[in-house]
Amino acid sequence: MKDIYELLNDLNIDESEFEEMEVNELEKANIKRSLKKEINKKKKRNSWKKSIAAASIIVGLSVTTFVTYPAYAGNIPVIEDIFRFFDNGKSGFYNNKKENSQNKETGLYYDYKKFSSELNITKESNGVKITINDAVFDGKTLTLTYTIESEQDLGNADISMPRIIGMKAYGGTGKTSKIDKNKYVGILTVSNLEDKKLDAAHINWDIDHIKNPDNQTLIKGDWNFDFSLDATDSKIQLTDGSAEKKGVKVRIGKISINPMSFIVYYDQEVTEIVKNKWDGVNVELEIKDDLGNIYSGEDNGGMRKDSSYHVSGSKTFEKLDPNATKLIITPHITLRDYNSDNFASVEITNDGKKEIPLPEKRGKGKEEFVLEDIIIKIKK
Amino acid sequence: MKANDTNYIQRLQQQKEDALEFIVDKYLPLIKGITCKVLIPLNNNGVIEECINDIFLSIWDHSKKFHGDSNDFKKWICAIAKFKAIDYYRKVNKQIEFTSNTLDVNTEKSIEDELIILEDRTELIKLINQLEPVERDIFIMKFFLGIKTEEISIKLGLTKASIENRIYRGKKKLNKKASNLKLGESGI
Repeated sequence: MKDIYELLNDLNIDESEFEEMEVNELEKANIKRSLKKEINKKKKRNSWKKSIAAASIIVGLSVTTFVTYPAYAGNIPVIEDIFRFFDNGKSGFYNNKKENSQNKETGLYYDYKKFSSELNITKESNGVKITINDAVFDGKTLTLTYTIESEQDLGNADISMPRIIGMKAYGGTGKTSKIDKNKYVGILTVSNLEDKKLDAAHINWDIDHIKNPDNQTLIKGDWNFDFSLDATDSKIQLTDGSAEKKGVKVRIGKISINPMSFIVYYDQEVTEIVKNKWDGVNVELEIKDDLGNIYSGEDNGGMRKDSSYHVSGSKTFEKLDPNATKLIITPHITLRDYNSDNFASVEITNDGKKEIPLPEKRGKGKEEFVLEDIIIKIKK
Repeated sequence: MKANDTNYIQRLQQQKEDALEFIVDKYLPLIKGITCKVLIPLNNNGVIEECINDIFLSIWDHSKKFHGDSNDFKKWICAIAKFKAIDYYRKVNKQIEFTSNTLDVNTEKSIEDELIILEDRTELIKLINQLEPVERDIFIMKFFLGIKTEEISIKLGLTKASIENRIYRGKKKLNKKASNLKLGESGI
């Protein structure tokens, strides 16, 4: 049976009878913002982590040290700051908060280039060149930018995630964009899910294929990167602020401030009642300071102990205004049922991958609410 | 990669947000024109805004059902916009009628009107699916898109009488099926 949308598709109407109306930029922006809100309720952004449940990753390591020299030093991408490229790509649509502070040049990655190491390491295999351009490690999260040159169309190329030695469990996000014919740039993050600061990251990125998600084509090859990065300086401040409502408690345990960003560590606890009723609890943190700056951020993922809802997670935000003295953190809570659209989970053990089945609980759809602001004084 | 004139439909079907952004930029003036024309009499900007959002969300949610080129796409979204706007008009108008308690003698609702107003239209759509293709088009145009009989006759190259006749026959079929449906519903 055809539904109304298919029926309307079959219908040949004369669209010339319809008249356009004037629309200003503000109207467009408003519509985009509310659409974005709606669709993000339905799906989480395209990223490697959907919901991270019990991801215990045991990595067997064979440490092989490669000495890598830039093979194509001349092939530095046209975009000087790939970090900023992805900030700009986010403006408006991904990040509605930014409209409020349009005059200020901001974005999560605004200062990343300044504090990152320029690597420009290129590996070529099967006609595809992958270059790591810049990388920065803040003790928790590795952020790196890369360029891909390929004769074959890669779309928003999907590539595997780097491994960081010493991290037992990690989550990450990645995004690749085509910038020119045969040329792509990307950014990815890998975050340690354990609450442990590393002084340096030894990165082992072994890519054996690139997938074009548009047509599912695989390009096989061997691109192997091995390098180390020292963590940037960071100042850690232990905090003790929390808010609680309807059986969900969010505690901010620690903030870590580094030259290009700051990380907020949070714990989330829920009561038995909430636990029995809902499959998942999601916390979004909205952060402002006492000067009125709104910070945009990226979730680093979190870890929860087996079957408990006690989650420890963190989120990275753009550079902290040095004049700010207080952070105002508003936790937004979403309680939800899992279904195949919004949840995927996999457990990785020594024996390989094991899909975790969808949990069965009474269907309620979802519930959203906001906790009271948590105010954190920044120690100077 | 960003959505452009050649790839936005494909990217929309892949649920890429930039494609949604692209169609808002490209088609908002048209969608707004269609929506306002229908909903301006209600004097309620909130409803217009809500309806426009709903139109774009429906396009996003149902993009995989679309087949055709960008010209067909334009027609498709125009049809969705008209359909949604009429739908909103009917819903809001119905509420107004209730609150004001006025009785308009001319608005005695036929069975298919009643069905259209039903929140869940699945049953009506099921019925429409069983009509002949031409009747199907006539019904959608008349009852979902609120197009006048004269205009339908011009579009389909049929006489007005022929359209009316087909509507009459279609209604009869629907009536029969709809009353079966009603019986089925109440026969618990």
